[in-house]
Amino acid sequence: MIASEALEVSAPMDLGWRYCSGAAMERFLVGLRERRIEALRCSGCGRRYLPPRPLCGDCRLHLREWVAVADEGELAAWSVYRLPILDGRTGEPRPAPYGIGLVRLDGADTTLNHFLAETDPRRLRIGLRVRAVWRQELRGALDDILHFEAAG
Amino acid sequence: MSAVAIIGTGQTRHASRRDDVSQPELVREAAEAALADAGVGPGDLDAVLLANMELFEGRALPELWAGEGAYAAGRPCMKVATGGTSGTSGCIAAFHQVAAGLFDVVLVVGYEKHSEGHAQTGMALTDPFWDRAVASGAVGNFALSVSQYVAERGVTEEQAALVAVKARRNAARNPHAHLQMAGLTVEEVLASRMLADPVRLLDMCPQSDGACAIVVASAEAARRRCRRPAWVLAAETRHEQPYIGDIDRRLVTMRTLRDAARAAYERAGVRRPLADLDVAEIYEPVSYAELAWYEALGLCAEGEAGRLVEGGVTAMDGELPVNPSGGVLSSNPVGASGVIRVAEAALQIHGRGGERQVEGASRALATGYGVYAWADVVVLGAQEAA
Repeated sequence: MIASEALEVSAPMDLGWRYCSGAAMERFLVGLRERRIEALRCSGCGRRYLPPRPLCGDCRLHLREWVAVADEGELAAWSVYRLPILDGRTGEPRPAPYGIGLVRLDGADTTLNHFLAETDPRRLRIGLRVRAVWRQELRGALDDILHFEAAG
Repeated sequence: MSAVAIIGTGQTRHASRRDDVSQPELVREAAEAALADAGVGPGDLDAVLLANMELFEGRALPELWAGEGAYAAGRPCMKVATGGTSGTSGCIAAFHQVAAGLFDVVLVVGYEKHSEGHAQTGMALTDPFWDRAVASGAVGNFALSVSQYVAERGVTEEQAALVAVKARRNAARNPHAHLQMAGLTVEEVLASRMLADPVRLLDMCPQSDGACAIVVASAEAARRRCRRPAWVLAAETRHEQPYIGDIDRRLVTMRTLRDAARAAYERAGVRRPLADLDVAEIYEPVSYAELAWYEALGLCAEGEAGRLVEGGVTAMDGELPVNPSGGVLSSNPVGASGVIRVAEAALQIHGRGGERQVEGASRALATGYGVYAWADVVVLGAQEAA
């Protein structure tokens, strides 16, 4: 081997982690099993946060007031992704193309980053009404929502 | 707080693969060049600051191994990591150390050796409860925000392509730049592969191997060692809430960069940025972002960014040349990219910019951008603040 030749090191790994959700995220995830989406509302600025979290970053107030959020809303941003990039859940490339969007669910003020069923850019626009398509067997995770599709 | 200046800069040749050097050797290349430029020896250093992103170069604790390249043994040494702002934040941390009187001479080295790691793995291992199921990396995140910016401001793909062309043509005059494309045209940018609508391959920054270093000095040390120090007139950093969906129309509102710029301009006495600044090195990972930053940095009125680039105002021979180095669009060793912005701004003040020198530059802007969650703004000047 010479110095300008890169050393190829193969390192197949099967890694698992355990993470603690915290109480707010736990309640949100448990709710998903029953197709229930809830946000936390700040008593200072009134902003309804998804994902729910313990503290409003702007007001520094503890968030305690849960509010119901619909599983449909309005598309606030969109793109059609054309690269098969790594899926952090599986470690495998995610098949492309696929639609991505930021969805402002009715009853929330922040937007939800998620997938879109539509992959034709001509049929996507900001303001489009969309609704969640749920997985058959709910597991209490954000991907219990498979993607969003045009509503109506 | 006392005055602080940059008295030397150095960087590597940035490339998609620097197979000729190890990670510490890459760091040493930039550190050695910066020390030579500043006219100081390794023995003159009081402390070392490293900037780098974890998980991007295939080894844990990269700073443990890279410290050797930065002359860090036996000295205070720490690392700053805040995504794309790692480099600018590392510089700001060194400014603070020197301004506080802790040290007289500090070496900052930012580096990344992308070719030895899997940046996608680092990006994919995001928040496990929310982001991980739906994250689409830097390109996806930007494409979403770009869709909002385009809808609201009416920016065209041709205007974005002009930014991409300007960057790569400028890079052709920078011997350190990764993508040097002197003949690139708008048509070629528009014909490049669509990555995520409306962002095309040539609208995006590359992944690069590279390192960049600066030598930061106290006022007394700077006056003694440097003919024309680049004085730090202002350095501001702002953080944002954690999720992309928390930020309403990110590229339009851009609270972090707007707030940091406002505070930095006030401290540095910059009233009309376009006229008062002589050169800018801004952190633009995607062509559209440069247009958004023009607005956030107050270089033009809201919605006028497209016209600014069309009119050549930010070209090398324009009123305010933006990114004579070719910017992040031409070289992106992430941990180094912010240091490169500051070093290139300092280089302009030092008057050592070679073919990319802006004649007589005496006030320079450098910015950093980290995910959507950090922004840094640094103003450098040839005159020490009164």
